Amino acid sequence: MAAVDVQNVRKIYKRDSQEIVVLDGLSLQVPEGEFVALMGPSGSGKTTLLNLIAGIDQPTSGKVEVAGTNVGALSEGALAKWRSRNVGFIFQFYNLIPVLTAVENVELPLLLTNLSKSQRRERALTALKVVGLADRFKHYPRQLSGGQEQRVAIARAIVADPAVLVADEPTGDLDAKSAEDILNLLQTLNGEFKKTIVMVTHDPRAASRAHIERHLEKGVLLKTVTQHDRNQAMAGV
Amino acid sequence: MKFLPYIVKHLRKNWIRTVSTILAMALCIFLIGTLQTLLAAFYGGLDRASTERLVTRNRVSLVFPLPLSYEPRLATMPGIKRVAKSSWFGGVMGNDANPDMKNFFPNFAVEAEPYLAMYPEYGLTAAEKQAFLSDPRGCIIGSDLADKHNWKIGSVIPLTSTIPPYKIGKPFEFVVQGIYKPDEKKYPSHSKQILLFHWKYLYEATNQRASVGTYITQIANPDQAPAMASAIDKTFENSDAETKTETEGQFYAGFVKMIGDLALILNSIGLAVAFTILAVCANTMSMSIRERRKEIAVLKTLGFSSALVLTLVLGEALVIGFVGGLLGVGLTKVALSAAGSIPGLNGFGATLRLGPGLLAMMFGLSGLIGLLSGLQPAVSAYRSNMTAMLRQV
Repeated sequence: MAAVDVQNVRKIYKRDSQEIVVLDGLSLQVPEGEFVALMGPSGSGKTTLLNLIAGIDQPTSGKVEVAGTNVGALSEGALAKWRSRNVGFIFQFYNLIPVLTAVENVELPLLLTNLSKSQRRERALTALKVVGLADRFKHYPRQLSGGQEQRVAIARAIVADPAVLVADEPTGDLDAKSAEDILNLLQTLNGEFKKTIVMVTHDPRAASRAHIERHLEKGVLLKTVTQHDRNQAMAGV
Repeated sequence: MKFLPYIVKHLRKNWIRTVSTILAMALCIFLIGTLQTLLAAFYGGLDRASTERLVTRNRVSLVFPLPLSYEPRLATMPGIKRVAKSSWFGGVMGNDANPDMKNFFPNFAVEAEPYLAMYPEYGLTAAEKQAFLSDPRGCIIGSDLADKHNWKIGSVIPLTSTIPPYKIGKPFEFVVQGIYKPDEKKYPSHSKQILLFHWKYLYEATNQRASVGTYITQIANPDQAPAMASAIDKTFENSDAETKTETEGQFYAGFVKMIGDLALILNSIGLAVAFTILAVCANTMSMSIRERRKEIAVLKTLGFSSALVLTLVLGEALVIGFVGGLLGVGLTKVALSAAGSIPGLNGFGATLRLGPGLLAMMFGLSGLIGLLSGLQPAVSAYRSNMTAMLRQV
């Protein structure tokens, strides 16, 4: 079963009287437990596609089904509720709330559940443990390095145990070492915790960590590179 | 409630701005509370005015007296139940050379028996009433006055009048025979700072120079008040001392009018202050939310609905409103207790009291200003488009 099923989606933005076609009849299926990297030049529609999958934007036409739900059919309120349970979002610039500590940031999505205060804290600490930052739970974002902030952001994305993780350039603001750590962590979440991951990236090294690379240009999917293709390329076939 | 720590953390982030806004709100509530208390005190007489009591004074001015001969004529008029003489004594503690104006309080010479029968507001025990009536130098005082000066039954109060005909070369000495406590439920605004003594004592001590300032009459039918007032004035028409008779409410309203349209002035000041503070708070909230557009987009991405985001923003504004309101009420209480000792402020028996209605109004106003100041940024956060804001990140 596909965790993400995008069917013939068009997304058109209107700027004054001009219509800008960002996605043009795009279809994409991501099976459960898959790790997909979306690549392409700026303006190709990667982030728009990611936003549609995450349910923070609606297609102009076509259907976006994620974790068995037709996202386009939900009202604003229902969509917000759905997002809180089904999608974890990882931003390029972490986007932690500066006035909250690491554990409070991770706890944020759980405020929307019926969990008690102690249950929320326990789950947030578990998520921080998964990303290797349990000992920094009381630190504020300003007291953490970029890599550590991104780990906290990943903990926040997984704390509600969503089916799908969407990551928009998760290593775009990090040094090579931190980027490596974050990619290892995403691989762990995919491999051990069976999270379906859709990641937008410009970085070929980051994309190579995914099982499948999908390349977009001008709102259309062009080519697919699988692990098998990469292995063959490396073997010189 | 689980979102309250989140709200408080944001308010603490820019604590100087938050504290300044709270102080501005507190100042607004303090000013409005104080002005409204003053108004309530000045207009308190209107609230407590009886519809069955009429006040007759000299038509020219309250300063001019009325002849003693008017009393029997009033008493025999049909429809009048009782008549009592009343004169403003204007007594102060200290002496002529050094009057103690700081501790000034209202004091009247009254014809005690009919006067007390007309004024159930002066709540005395039967024993106190009897003791007062039977002691020519006796007086009764309000409980606040007694507490302030630690006067008890039997205490002697020396007062020297500021009115020339009532100066007798030494202070009048009044013996406290009763301490009245008005029924708080029936007469909440009745002053507890008045001293009443026998008019006869004034008359005799001044070698019959004392005159009558006003005649208070109790009428049988309150519905007939305008007709009765007119009948009284007609009786004394074309005499040396023509009269002006009004209901007690009209009489007090006339006093208040002497200082201009106080309600309009004070309410205008209050409204201007409230509007200014609303603008200040709205600006603060707008700035605060504008700085957090990215954060609002993130919250929405995490699954916070637009309605919840709107509630959180309004919650912040309400916390500022209520904390400011609480502080404002505290300041008002402190100021009012201090103002009790300002000379002349309660000279006409005005009671500076922060009643439950005014308290509710102050808290309501602080909440309303908070709510209105947060409305525009909250609606803007509600309507904000996630993708557009994330693109600005």
